[in-house]
Amino acid sequence: MNDDRPEDEARPDEAPGDGVGGLERPTGEHRPRWRETLGIVLANKLAAFGLVVLVVLILTAIFADLVAPYAINAQDLTRRFEPPSLQHLFGTDEFGRDLFSRVVFGSRVSLQVGAVAVSISLALGTFIGLISGYRRGWLDTVLMRTMDVLFSFPVVLLAIALVAVLGPSLRNTMLAVGIVFTPIFARVVRGSALSVSQDLHVRAARSLGASDLRIVFRHVLPNVAAPVIVQTSLSLAFAILIEAALSFVGVGVQPPEPAWGLMLSDAQRYRTQGWWLSVFPGLAIFLTVMAFNLVGDGLRDALDPQQRSVIESRGAGGDA
Amino acid sequence: MRLRSLTAVTAVIALMVAACDDGNGGVDLGDAGEDDPAIEDGTDDVDDEAEPAAEGGTLRAAIGGDPDQLDAHTTTSSFAFTVLENVYDTLVQPGEDLTMEPALAESWETSEDLLTWTFTLREGVTFHDGSELDAGDVVASFERIAEEGDNAFRLEAVEEFNAPDELTVELVLNRPAPNLLEQIGPFKGMAIAPAEAIEAGTMQDDPIGTGPFEFVSFSPGDSVTLERFDDYWGGDVALDGIEFQVVPDEGTKLTSLQTGEVDWIDSVPPEQVEELGADDQIELDQVAGNDYWYIALNQDREPFDDPAVRRAIAFALDIDVITEAARFDAATPNETAIPETSFWYHDYEPYGHDPDQARQLLEDAGVTDLTVDLMVTNEFPETVTFAQVMEAQLGEVGIDVQIRTEDFTTWLADQGDGEFDAFGLSWLGNIDPDDYYYAQHHSEGSFNFHGFADPETDELLDSARVETDEDDRKELYDQAAERIVDLASYIYLYNPDIVQAWSPDVQGYTTRPDQATRFVDTSLAS
Repeated sequence: MNDDRPEDEARPDEAPGDGVGGLERPTGEHRPRWRETLGIVLANKLAAFGLVVLVVLILTAIFADLVAPYAINAQDLTRRFEPPSLQHLFGTDEFGRDLFSRVVFGSRVSLQVGAVAVSISLALGTFIGLISGYRRGWLDTVLMRTMDVLFSFPVVLLAIALVAVLGPSLRNTMLAVGIVFTPIFARVVRGSALSVSQDLHVRAARSLGASDLRIVFRHVLPNVAAPVIVQTSLSLAFAILIEAALSFVGVGVQPPEPAWGLMLSDAQRYRTQGWWLSVFPGLAIFLTVMAFNLVGDGLRDALDPQQRSVIESRGAGGDA
Repeated sequence: MRLRSLTAVTAVIALMVAACDDGNGGVDLGDAGEDDPAIEDGTDDVDDEAEPAAEGGTLRAAIGGDPDQLDAHTTTSSFAFTVLENVYDTLVQPGEDLTMEPALAESWETSEDLLTWTFTLREGVTFHDGSELDAGDVVASFERIAEEGDNAFRLEAVEEFNAPDELTVELVLNRPAPNLLEQIGPFKGMAIAPAEAIEAGTMQDDPIGTGPFEFVSFSPGDSVTLERFDDYWGGDVALDGIEFQVVPDEGTKLTSLQTGEVDWIDSVPPEQVEELGADDQIELDQVAGNDYWYIALNQDREPFDDPAVRRAIAFALDIDVITEAARFDAATPNETAIPETSFWYHDYEPYGHDPDQARQLLEDAGVTDLTVDLMVTNEFPETVTFAQVMEAQLGEVGIDVQIRTEDFTTWLADQGDGEFDAFGLSWLGNIDPDDYYYAQHHSEGSFNFHGFADPETDELLDSARVETDEDDRKELYDQAAERIVDLASYIYLYNPDIVQAWSPDVQGYTTRPDQATRFVDTSLAS
C-alpha cells in the first residue's frame, strides 16, 4: 500500500492534455466546465439513471414527513409481521411499525451519515493533502505516514474500533466513518497537489510573491477539485454502506432510529417471519449505493479518467 | 469475577429463548415448596433411573456456544454446565419439582441448633477413573469451591468441612442456613470431584466425576464428546455417548435439527416457536422457567435516587406489551421476581400500566425533561427489543429514552463502573428466594450494581436468610419482595419460558425449569 508513491509522482506527466489540467488551469473558469461535465455525465445513461435515483432519494429524505404514511415509531403489536398490503406497502415489522415509513425515514439517516461523514473526511483529507502535497518535506512524510497507518486497516474494522472507543451513536458513527475516509482524500488531494504545485501558473504566482496560503487556496485547491469531486461521490456510497454495516452489527445508529442497517439486522433475526423485512431495507441500501456509484463513475469518466485505479483498489478494500 | 458467573449464567437465559403458539405449552411444575426441603431428613428414594440400555447410540446435541473450559468449580460458562451436568454429581440435586433430593448424599440431618449438617454418602459410588467416592473428596471439593471460583458465596455460611468417617460429611455453620441444600444442590458448580484430581490440578483438562457420562474429548469451538460410564451409581444408562456440537448461530442450529444433523438443541428463540411447533418432525418442549428479566435504574444518579421517579417509570411501563414484544408468548409477565410456579411466589402487582400516575409522580417530584440512558446488549437481543418498547412507552409520559447497545464485554464493564442510567438483563438458575433477592438488593449485595440501599430491605433479607420456619421465612420474603417492588429497586418484567427441541427419536428427555440438561434417562429410538 505504501509503494504507490511513484504513481503519485508520475501524475504530472498525465495531467496535461486531458483537458483538465496543464496550462489550461487558470482560476475562475470552472463554470463552463461544470456545464460541460454535467453534459458528459448525463450522456452516460447509467450515470443519468443514478442521478435520477439520487434526486428521488434526496427529495424523499427532505419530504419524508409527507411521504411516510405512519409515524415511524408507532408500535402496534397486534399488527406485527403483516405482509405488504395497500395499508402497509412494505408490510410491518416486529413491533407492528410500518416498514415503508421507516424505510422512507431511513433515507434521512443514510444521507445524513453519508453527507456529514464525507464532509468530515473531505475537509480533513483535503487540508492534510494540500499541506503534504504543497509543502512536502518532513511534514509530508509525517502526515502521509500517519495516513498510511490509518489506511492499512480494513475500513469497516477501523470504523468499528473507533465507534467502540467513542461509544455507539449516530453522531459517533458519522465521526468514525469520516475519520476512516480521511486518508483516501488526503492521498487523492496530495497527489494532485504535488503535480499542480509544479505547474507553470503556480510557479508564476510564487515568483510574483504570493503567499503560500494564497497559492494553496487560489491556485492549487481549484485544480485538485476534479478528483476530489469524483472521490466524494464514491465515498458517499461507501459511507452509507459502512453505516449500514455498523448499524447491522449494533455499534452504529441506535434503535429505534430507522436506519436501514438496523432494519436488516432485525430482519436477520426474524427471517422466517417475513421476507419483506429484509428485502425493502436491502433494496434501499442497494439502490442508494448503486446510485452514488453510478454518478461517481460518470463524474470520473467526465473529469478524471486517471483516478480509476486508486478508487477501485480502495473500493475493493472497503468491501473486505 | 462473580459478575461473569452471573452473566454467563444469564447467558443461558437469553439463548434459551422460548415461545409458545398456544400459550398453554408449559409443563406444570407442581408445588415446588410443598415439603420442607431444608430441614427434614433426606431419604434414599432415587428412582430406578434409566431403562435398560437397549439401542444405545450417540446423541448429537447442539449447544449455542463454546464452553470456555471444563473445570466445574471455576467455569462461568453456561455451555460448560450444559455438558458438565452429565459428568458430575452434587450431594443433593433438584428433582422435578426443584426440591432437593438425594444424589451423592443418601441422607442428611441437622443438629438441634441447626448449625451442624451431617450428610451420609451413598455407598459404592465410583469416579470415572475407578476410584471410590469418600468423604475426603467432598471436603476437598467444598474447600476448593470456598477458596476459588465464583461459587464461594454459596458456602459462605459454612465454617468447617469435616469428614468424621469415610462416608460421613459434616458441615459446621456460623449461622443457621435453611437454604443450605439449595446452595449446594442446584448446579454443577458445586460438583464433587476426586480429591486427587483437585490436588493435581487436572480438573480443567480432564473432568472426572461420578455422573452418567465420562469425558472423552474437548475441541474448543467445535465439540465436546462424552461416553457412557458403565459403573454409574444411578443404574444403567441407555446412550452410548453424547457429542455436544458448538453451533453459535440460532438459525443454523435450528436448521441442523430440522435436517437431522443433530438430535437435540439447547434453545429455541421465542420467535421461532410457532413455526417449529407446527413441524411434526420436531419435538418442542416449553416449560415455565425460574428466571426473570428486569431493568435496574442507577440509584447513585439523580433523579433515579428518588423512589418516586423509579415508581413513575414502573407505572409508565406496560409489562404485558413488553413481554409480548420481547418473548411472543413464551413468558409470563410478573411484577415480582419469583414465578408463579414457585412455592415462594408472592402475588403482588401494585403497578399495572398507569401513565397518568407516572406523570403525576414525575410532576410531584419536580422532574421534567428526563432523559434515560438505557444500556442493552446484542448478546441478548431481547434486551434490544424490550428497550424499544420502553422507549415508546416512556415517551408517552415525557421521558426520553436513549438506547445504548453495547457488546457484552463493554456492557459488563459499564455495569461494574456504574456507567448507566438504566440497564436491562436477566437472572437465572434461581431456586431459593435468597438467590432472587440478597445479592441484588441487599445494600452490600455483590450484584447490587444499581446502588439500592434500604435498611428495611437489608433487615428483612438478613433475617429471612436465617429463619428456619418455612412459613415465617416466606412471610419475610414476601415483605422483602413488596419493599423491593414498591421502591422499584428493580423493575421486574417477566419470567421467560424455557424452550428446547429435539428429534422424535430422542426419548426420555424433559426440559427442566432450572435448565439442567440431564441425559441420564435419554435414549435414541433408531
